[in-house]
Amino acid sequence: MKGIPTVLITVSPEVSAQMRPPRALYPNGFKIGNSLGKPGMRDLQRKVLHDALTLLTENTRPGSIITRDYPEYGEYHEPPRVGK
Amino acid sequence: MTISRKCVPFTPFEGELARATIGIVTAGGVHLRDQEPFNIADELGDLGYRVISDDVDSKQLMVTHHHYDHSDADKDINVVFPLDVLRDLRVSGFIHGIARKHVGYMGYTMQLKAMYEGTAREIANEIDKGSRADAVVLTGG
Repeated sequence: MKGIPTVLITVSPEVSAQMRPPRALYPNGFKIGNSLGKPGMRDLQRKVLHDALTLLTENTRPGSIITRDYPEYGEYHEPPRVGK
Repeated sequence: MTISRKCVPFTPFEGELARATIGIVTAGGVHLRDQEPFNIADELGDLGYRVISDDVDSKQLMVTHHHYDHSDADKDINVVFPLDVLRDLRVSGFIHGIARKHVGYMGYTMQLKAMYEGTAREIANEIDKGSRADAVVLTGG
């Protein structure tokens, strides 16, 4: 095996950062259980997945997590913190 | 081979998304309704995983996981397992194809070493052999 390129979509960026993922997207303020948005919000889900996949082609720093805003989600949830 | 915990296991993505086949691996406890549910009764967690083929009806997918609120995923599995969304991106030409195999597991365990050294490698092998994935999207709950 030569390895498989991966990109993570996380709603717990601080927790995920401990594992130093090669590429990761944090949709800002999405709650746990809504990694790609809310049920039925297909346009938003497409946008999040599109942005996550695009990270595969960008020169991101391995181990870093990219935060993007998606106002159409309509809510903000504080992500879980490490140790709490 | 021992992988340093300080090392980021970065595999470059070579090529273009429009020519790439994409798979999904989720820790969100996703599986088919006719597959054995994850064992949420075991306080140590369930180290197993379920293989999901590319041609499944997403309505046949469900979640067994007791460490996050999956009520939204119960309504639309795409919020944690974006198979239909991936299908949309294939139709639009953004990606080329969808991997033959995807994987769901329950991302809660008190057996971290077994998960890290056992399950994770088994899942990677599962994707590596026969899925035809050029890259994988990882999701949690």
